[in-house]
Amino acid sequence: MSENNTPSAAPVTQVADATVEPMGAPPSPLRETWDYFRKNRGAFAGLIVIAIILFLAVTAQWIAPYDPISQDRSAFLKPPIWMEGADPRYILGTDAVGRDILSRLIHGAQLSVSIGVVVVILSMVAGIVLGMVAGYFRGWIEVGIMRLMDIMLALPSLIMAMAIVAILGPGLENAMLAIAIVQLPHYVRLSRASVVSELNKEYVIASQIAGAGHMRQMFVNILPNCMAPLIVQGTLGISSAILDAAALGFLGLGAQPPLPEWGTMLAEAREFVGSAWWVITFPGLSILVTVLAFNLMGDGLRDALDPKMKR
Amino acid sequence: MLGFLFRRLGDIIPTFFGVTLLVFFLIRLIPGDPILMLAGERGVDPARYAELQAQYGFDQPIIVQYFDYLMGVFQGDLGKSFVTKKPVLDEFLTLFPATVELSIMGILFAIGIGVPLGVLAAIKRGTWVDHLTMSVSLTGYSMPIFWWALLLIMFFSTSLGWTPVSGRLSVFYFIEPTTGFMLIDTLISGEKGAFTSALSHLILPTIALGTIPMAVIARMTRSSMLEVLGEEYIRVARAKGLSPLRVIMVHALRNALIPVITVIGLQVGVLLAGAILTETIFSWPGIGKWIVEAMNRRDYPTIQGGILMIAFLVMSVNLIVDVLYGIINPRIRHKR
Amino acid sequence: MALLEVKNLTVEFGSEDKPFRAVDSVSYSVDRGEVLGIVGESGSGKSVSSLAVMGLIDFPGRVTADSLTFDGQDLLGMSAKKRRQITGKDIAMIFQDPMSALNPCFTVEAQIMEALKVHEGGTKKQRRERTLDLLNQVGIPDPKSRMTAYPHQLSGGMSQRIVIAMAIACQPRLLIADEPTTALDVTIQAQIIDLLLKLQEDSDMGLLLITHDLALVSEAANRIQVMYAGQLFESGPADSIFAAPRHPYTQALLEALPERSEGHDRLRTIPGVVPGQYDRPAGCLLAPRCRYADDNCIKNRPDVTDFNGRDVRCFYPLNDQGQPTGQIDGQSTGGTV
Repeated sequence: MSENNTPSAAPVTQVADATVEPMGAPPSPLRETWDYFRKNRGAFAGLIVIAIILFLAVTAQWIAPYDPISQDRSAFLKPPIWMEGADPRYILGTDAVGRDILSRLIHGAQLSVSIGVVVVILSMVAGIVLGMVAGYFRGWIEVGIMRLMDIMLALPSLIMAMAIVAILGPGLENAMLAIAIVQLPHYVRLSRASVVSELNKEYVIASQIAGAGHMRQMFVNILPNCMAPLIVQGTLGISSAILDAAALGFLGLGAQPPLPEWGTMLAEAREFVGSAWWVITFPGLSILVTVLAFNLMGDGLRDALDPKMKR
Repeated sequence: MLGFLFRRLGDIIPTFFGVTLLVFFLIRLIPGDPILMLAGERGVDPARYAELQAQYGFDQPIIVQYFDYLMGVFQGDLGKSFVTKKPVLDEFLTLFPATVELSIMGILFAIGIGVPLGVLAAIKRGTWVDHLTMSVSLTGYSMPIFWWALLLIMFFSTSLGWTPVSGRLSVFYFIEPTTGFMLIDTLISGEKGAFTSALSHLILPTIALGTIPMAVIARMTRSSMLEVLGEEYIRVARAKGLSPLRVIMVHALRNALIPVITVIGLQVGVLLAGAILTETIFSWPGIGKWIVEAMNRRDYPTIQGGILMIAFLVMSVNLIVDVLYGIINPRIRHKR
Repeated sequence: MALLEVKNLTVEFGSEDKPFRAVDSVSYSVDRGEVLGIVGESGSGKSVSSLAVMGLIDFPGRVTADSLTFDGQDLLGMSAKKRRQITGKDIAMIFQDPMSALNPCFTVEAQIMEALKVHEGGTKKQRRERTLDLLNQVGIPDPKSRMTAYPHQLSGGMSQRIVIAMAIACQPRLLIADEPTTALDVTIQAQIIDLLLKLQEDSDMGLLLITHDLALVSEAANRIQVMYAGQLFESGPADSIFAAPRHPYTQALLEALPERSEGHDRLRTIPGVVPGQYDRPAGCLLAPRCRYADDNCIKNRPDVTDFNGRDVRCFYPLNDQGQPTGQIDGQSTGGTV
């Protein structure tokens, strides 16, 4: 991969460009990042898969062939259409109570994407505020916040999330809240570390002299300069949120039946492990592909946004 | 080295108190009256209610309750299970070896596959071997392991019939637990075929549990190895006329493994979280399954005690890893 | 017969059809007991050519030569295993940065003994004694206590002495020293060079001293090779090169020496940089930077020719007065100085 990425690999075109627009403005940072990102085949593939999943999620109501919870009592556990004994109406077959698996998967995409996005937004906003406050004001506020985060990190995230759900009660909303809380320490640590490193830079001191207030300093001056690692963490956070939500669903602590959440679908399908491979294979595959796509994109973004790796 | 150890302990002790505080308030946060919940459907008369309140110390101020709880923790008293009425610590200790056995196998699998894969990818950098290895690793990293476990069962157990579906040992054997580690107990028992049975029960759970750590370790080993291979001392080692194998295995790997050790330590949390799912699927009688059952039954003392023990475990292992890190890396060992 | 005989050594990187020649048809030889200095700026290919001699050029790089022999043995034709038996034993190398040349995970003792173990065998006790001897030989104070030290506990000068001890452990017949003093403090540099020369003299080794420091080779070397952009520009006995450089590049290098700038307001420099992979001139590689270059130099590439008993790669080698000879129009068209 790196061979394609090094700027020196295309010297001829570079020279040519330089002669065509001798004093051309350097590409905007966004553009540069995009160019860099696009050259990473894995990340680009991830982006395309995410686009497809997003499309399915948004249009689920219209493109899913059936209602995800309506049951066809004449077609229990029908295999996918390329198998013997299939019902031609159900492309990926039906589950134990005669629901169309394809429709459930498409609606599941909607659930999973919303889980990922909502969790990350919740967690990121709270995490940024806490982290910036800790890094900006230092002192006992910082000690308190960071110590709390250390405590949360002492527990494996899934166990922590399970404990929170055990208190709040099972259900999709509570599971999302639990996962958001569990992810919090990552954003807090990242934003605190960025703030601390930015705080001593000239531009921050300059605007302090110019009379900028705390709020302006934190959120207008410093925050935009700390966004790159947060964006990367956010992308990877979506994938772990989807994974954790599915795990909670699988354990019966997350989304409850008949919601077509992928993990919940797997929990319902568990007993057919020896008889109906399709009810198990497809929901899990959906989780894997979605998580993989977000991870690929996150990795690609990290490489593209990391100035150290670019030069 | 000793100063280093004390510094780390100084970090860990407040965190541990924090965790006790967290799990203590966890129970207090539950909506509803714990005594009424304990009494269940039948309800409870006022006299019995006051008695129970006194028994659990709920009539004391919250601070006093916390200190009572803390004193209990230091004496090894984590409360009694609502369901089995047995001390939580006893239950934990009974089930713990099963989880440890599975986790050790899982991490051995992860290291045994992950490190060679990472090294291979690094020395074959940019070739199809590298790309394939890293694709496998990224897939493993993104794998929902509860699904992976089901796939493994579907393929190896139900279709091929190679491995058992669940449990630790075939029902034909009865082994008196001495160490709690089935592999060792079956060996000691000398019963024919028992060890093989225990081993075959371990295979699929091990793979399921070890896959994510394996992926993480492979990625880390590769990048660490690439960095080390570019170092001058590797060239110097080659200039000594050493064989490529010796250069890689002795000079490069030792240095490349230093950051990998930390990553392996961080996998303990991943393993325990994975154990919850893996044990549930394979009916493995360990603490993961125990906690899930406690959560489903709302057995709060068990949840509380279990979480505390897991946190304690994760922190202890991280401490051990830090010490190991110091031993393998002379630059840290000699720092004061 | 010379100890090391290099004829038309070429090292290429990159694609087959558009290769980058880091070393371009370089020839030289080193005899036992002789010090050959290879001089050039960064990027002149002097390090790469020595790595090629050591057999340390990795896969994408391609090494070719009309002949590359050590003590009559063909280094390129032999098996990798056989070559490794020579590498580190008969030919040893010292690298530029001693601080990164030692493996941080192993003790000084372990790293020196490793070479002994691979090439000479013997008991552990013998190897340890030999290591102690070596540390004494390279002037490490209190060598016993240094044996078990880790590299991060040593200073730069100390590390370089260890690296030298490691290199001479198996009593090599040829020692390649690639900028052995560049990374060290000035006060230490002279000590290390003196040490190297003493070791060379004592054991009658051949020494290949690679450096960009002309003052250093002038004192140390018997013969000098001047390299530029992968090519040999001039070679000959050290004193005669210093007395009368035949190549404009050598002349410019000498003029850039601080001690030759007396009477000038500032140090003289050579404008520009060594051409890299993508900006190699079509003609003489020095043409853009040469004060004497004309159209001929810009269009055509000169070969190495014999001029008054010295090998020079220039159309217009300099005479004893430092003036170009045989120039057609006498007019300079390229260059800046």
